[in-house]
Amino acid sequence: MTLQDLILSLHQFWSQQHCILTQPYDTEKGAGTFNPATFLRALGPEPWRAAYVEPCRRPTDGRYGDNPNRLQHYFQYQVVLKPSPADVQDLYLKSLAHLGINPRQHDIQFIQDDWESPTLGAWGLGWEVRLDGMEITQFTYFQEVGGIEVNPVTVELTYGLERIAMYIQGVDHFFDLMWSEGVSYGQIYRESEIQCSTYNFEVADVDMIRDTFDAYERECRRLLEEDLVIPAYDYCMKTSHLFNLLDARGVISVTERTGYIARIRGLARGCAESYEKQRETLGYPLIKSTRQTGQKTNNRAAKSPVPK
Amino acid sequence: MPSNRNASRKPSQTLRRRASRTSVNLNPSRSSKRQSTRLSSSNSVLLLELGTEEIPAFFIQPALQQLAQLTEKFLKGQRLEYESIRPVGSSRRLTVIVSGLAPKQVSVSQEVMGPPQAVAFDQHGVPTKAAIGFASTQAVPVESLQVRETPKGKYVCAVKHETGQKTAEVLRIQLPQIIQQLSFKKSMVWNDSNLRFARPLRWVVALYGNKPIRFEVGGVASGAQTYGHRYLSAPGLKTDARITVTDPSKYEAMMKRHRVIVDPQERRALIQDQVSQLAKSAKGKVYGEHYDELLEQAVYTVEYPHAILGSFDSHFLTLPQEVLITAMKEHQGYFSLIARSSALLPKFITVTNMKLPKMDVIRKGNERVLTARLSDAQYFFQEDRKVSLNDRVERLRGITFHKKLGSLHQKVARLQELVPSIADLAGRGDLKVVCERAAFLSKSDLTTGLVGEFPTLQGVMGREYAKHDGEHADVCAAIGELYLPGTPEGVLPENPVGMFLGLGDRIDTLVAFFTVGMIPSGSEDPFALRRIGYGLIRIIVEKTLRLNLVDLIDNAEQVLKRHDVIPMQDLPNGPILLEFLLERFRFFAKTVHQLRDDMIEAVLGARPTESCDITDLLARIQALQMVAAQPEFSPLIVGYTRANRIVNKEQWRAHQVKAELFEHESEIQLHQAVSQAQPLIMAHVAQQDYRAALMRLLQLKAPIDSFFEGVMVNAADQRIRANRLSLLRTIDQLFLTVADFSRIQH
Repeated sequence: MTLQDLILSLHQFWSQQHCILTQPYDTEKGAGTFNPATFLRALGPEPWRAAYVEPCRRPTDGRYGDNPNRLQHYFQYQVVLKPSPADVQDLYLKSLAHLGINPRQHDIQFIQDDWESPTLGAWGLGWEVRLDGMEITQFTYFQEVGGIEVNPVTVELTYGLERIAMYIQGVDHFFDLMWSEGVSYGQIYRESEIQCSTYNFEVADVDMIRDTFDAYERECRRLLEEDLVIPAYDYCMKTSHLFNLLDARGVISVTERTGYIARIRGLARGCAESYEKQRETLGYPLIKSTRQTGQKTNNRAAKSPVPK
Repeated sequence: MPSNRNASRKPSQTLRRRASRTSVNLNPSRSSKRQSTRLSSSNSVLLLELGTEEIPAFFIQPALQQLAQLTEKFLKGQRLEYESIRPVGSSRRLTVIVSGLAPKQVSVSQEVMGPPQAVAFDQHGVPTKAAIGFASTQAVPVESLQVRETPKGKYVCAVKHETGQKTAEVLRIQLPQIIQQLSFKKSMVWNDSNLRFARPLRWVVALYGNKPIRFEVGGVASGAQTYGHRYLSAPGLKTDARITVTDPSKYEAMMKRHRVIVDPQERRALIQDQVSQLAKSAKGKVYGEHYDELLEQAVYTVEYPHAILGSFDSHFLTLPQEVLITAMKEHQGYFSLIARSSALLPKFITVTNMKLPKMDVIRKGNERVLTARLSDAQYFFQEDRKVSLNDRVERLRGITFHKKLGSLHQKVARLQELVPSIADLAGRGDLKVVCERAAFLSKSDLTTGLVGEFPTLQGVMGREYAKHDGEHADVCAAIGELYLPGTPEGVLPENPVGMFLGLGDRIDTLVAFFTVGMIPSGSEDPFALRRIGYGLIRIIVEKTLRLNLVDLIDNAEQVLKRHDVIPMQDLPNGPILLEFLLERFRFFAKTVHQLRDDMIEAVLGARPTESCDITDLLARIQALQMVAAQPEFSPLIVGYTRANRIVNKEQWRAHQVKAELFEHESEIQLHQAVSQAQPLIMAHVAQQDYRAALMRLLQLKAPIDSFFEGVMVNAADQRIRANRLSLLRTIDQLFLTVADFSRIQH
C-alpha cells in the first residue's frame, strides 16, 4: 500500500462515517489541531465531523534527512468527531482494519496520554495508540480549547501517516517509503528536509523573525478588535510557527520561552472567545443541517441550545 | 433534651414456610421453580463491573480500592449483610464482587429519647406541646410515645421501626451513586451525562444473583452484558462481541475463557513468571531498579499478559547504560536485561496483550520502534557533546530557578562559593578547587537535548558530558551524584565532592525558599523542601560527615546575602530552618535507627545552641538507647531526676564543693565518686565514646542513692545546705555533658 493509497483509504473510510473531507489549511502549523477545522470547530455546540491530511512543520525535529524517523515536515491524518460517538474506539480499530492492519494479528494498546497544548490553551485526555509498540495515533477527548471548556466534547484522532505507511510497507527510513507506484518519499522530500533543516537551525534570520512575531501579534489583536476572527486566527497560527523557528535556532531561553508561549496562548484564547460569540450570533448554522442527515450519533448535546 | 440511642438491632423475621411443603410437591417443574425462588431469596453474589475505555495504568489500583471502600460503606450504611467484598479489574473494567449478600436489609427499631415525662404530659396525662413537637420531628404518632425509666428519671421515647427493603431495590437506587462517587487523579467528561471518570464509561454489569439490576449512569444502561478481551475474546467472534454474564459467582472463570484475567494478582504472578523465564533464556536477569514500577504498569495495562523477548543492535551499547535503560523504560515500558557482569544486554522484554501462535510480527515491530528511539538518543548524545558543559553555563541565565529566586545561573554562582566553604566546614579544605569546578558545571546538563528528552537523566548526563570534556574525575563523579538520593531511601553520593555539592545545592535551595517565606506547612510542600531536607540529613549522617548545621545554614545565608538575589529581610529564618532540619533528623533517627522519642529529645535537649553536629548527636542517642537497656539505668534515672529537680527548684548555679563541710560518709563518697568520674567521662565524651561515658555514669547510681538515704539536702546550716546543693549541681552538669536525662521516660 503506497502512502497515497493509505490516504485514499482513510478518506474513504471516514467519508463513509459522514466526515467532511476538508483540505489541508494553507498556513504553516505544528499539528493538525491548529487547523481551524479542529481548533475553532471544537468550540460551541455545533456538531462537526471532519477528516483531512495536514502537513505539519516542526523545525526542531529536523535532522537534515539523516534520521530515519524524524522530519521537520511531515503529514498527519486528522479526524475530528463532535460530539464524540460512543463507539469511537471501535470505529478507529475498524479504520485500521480498513488499512489492512488486522487488530487480531497485532498488539494494539491504548496507552495513557494526557495531551496538552500550552500555546493553544487546550488540553484533553486520551491515549497514544501503539501498534506492536509503535505510536501510530494520538487519540484525545478535548476538555478545553482556547481556555474554554468544551461542550459537547470533540474527539480527535491523529494518525501518523509516515509511521503507519512505514509499518505497512516494511521500510526503515522515511525516504524509502513509496508515495505512489514508482515514486518514493525521499525523491519528493529529501532535498526539502536538507534545505529546511539548514534554514531552521542555521540560517533563519532571528531578528527578522522576532520582529515579524511582534508584528503578527499586533495584527492578530487588531483584527480581533475588528471582529475578524478568521484572519485573526491565521495570524495566531503564524506566530506559533515563528516561535517554533526561534526555538529551533536555539536563541530563546527557557524563561523567554514561557513568555512567548503565553503570548501565543493569549491570542488563541482571544480567537476562541471571539469565535464562540460569532457562532452564537450566527445562530449556530450547523445545528440544523446535521439534524437532517440523521446521523446515528449522540446529538443530544448539540440539539439543546436552540438558536434564537 | 432528646438523646439518641440505638436501642436494638433486631433482624427481620425470615419466614421459611416453604420448607415443609416441598416434600408434598410432586410436580417436578413446579418444584424446580420453587427451587429457584428459594435460591434467589437467600444470600447471593453481587457483581458490579464498570466497563471503560482504557484507564491509565496507575489509576486502577487506587480506583479498585476506592470502589471496595465505597461498597463497604454503602452496604453497612444500608444495613445489608454480606460475607466478603472482592475488588478486581484491569484497564478496561473496574469490578467489585460481593459474596453472600443478604436478600433484604436488616430491619431495625430505634428508640429516640425525648423530653421528661413530666414535661411531655400534663397532670391529666394529656400530651403537651413538647410531646406533640417531639413526636412530629420523629415522625411517629403522638399516641405511640412510650415512657422509659432512666437513671435521670422517667423520659418519653419514640420507637421507630424501619422495615428492611429488598436488596435489589436498594442496589438499583444506590449503585449509581457509588459509581458517581469514584474519583480519579485526573478525570474527564465525554458525553452529555457529564459524569466525570478517568476515561469514558461504556457499559455496566450489575447482577444480583442471576437478576440484572437496572439503572442508568453516565449515559449507560446497566445490565448483564460485558465484553471480553478486545481482540482475543472467544474465537470466531468479531472484535468486541458482547457476552452475557449469567452467574456472577462464575464471572472470573467466564472472563478467563474470553481471555481476560480480571484478577490483578493473577496477572502479576503470570508476568513475573514469564519475565523471569525469558530473562533466563537470554542468560541474564532483569535490571532491578525500575522492576516494580514496570511490573505494575504492565499488570494494569494488559488484560491477557504475554511477555516477549526482543533485541537491539549491540552498537547502541556505546551509549551510557542509563540512557538505554531510561529510553526503554520511559518511552516503551520495556524491561532491561543485564548479564551477570551487570553489563547491559542488547535485549529487552515487553509485555503484550496478545497471544498469537507466532509472535514474530509483534516482536519485530517492537524492535523497530526501539531502534528508532535509540537512534534518536544517539543523535542527542552526539549533538550535546558538541558544546561543552563549560560553554553551556551561560545558557543557564535563561532558566528560572524560581520566579522569586532568580535564574539557575545565579544559583550556580552561589554554589561556586558555597560548596568549597562546605568542604572547609567538613575538614576537607584540600577539595576546594575541585568543589568549585564541580559547582560551576553542575547544572549545565539541564540545557542538553538528552536531559530535555529524559529529565530523570539529569546529573547522569552531566557526568557523561563532563567526562567527554576531560574534566577532573572527581568533578565528573560529583556532578553524577548531585541529585542523590533521588528518593527518600535512594542511594547516596559516594564521592566527597559529590556529597559537598549535594549538600550545597540543597542548603542553598532551603535557605533561599525560607528567606522568601516559602516554608512548608501542614501538607503544603509544593517544592518538596521536606524531601530536600531529608536528603541533606541523610548525606551528613550516613556519610558520617562532621559539620555544624548552624554554620552550614549561616554560610548559605551569607552567600545568598552577598549575591544580592533576594531582598534579604532580617528575618530570623535560620533558627526556623534549623528546627525544620532537626525535624527531618528526628524522623530519620526514629524510622531508620528505631530510636526512641525520649532518647532523641534527651540528646537534642542537651545540645548547645551554637552547635549542631547531627552525626555526633546520632551517636549519642544510639549510645544512650543502648545503655538504657542496662538494669541499673532506670534506678540511676530515679536518683538523677531527684538531684536535677532540687537543683532546678533552687535555681542553683554555684558548684564550689568544699570537702570540709561534709558531715556524712555518703557525701564524701559521692563527692569522691564524682571527682574521679568527671575527668574520665569528659575524656570519653571528648573521644566521642559515649557508651563508655554512660557506663561510667551508671557507676554513680550507688553513691547517689546512698547520698539521698544518708543526708537531707535541706540542712539547718545554710553553708552545709549550700555545699550539698553545689555537689548536686556538679552531678547535674556532669550528666548534661551527655544528655538531658530529665527528658527520659522510665
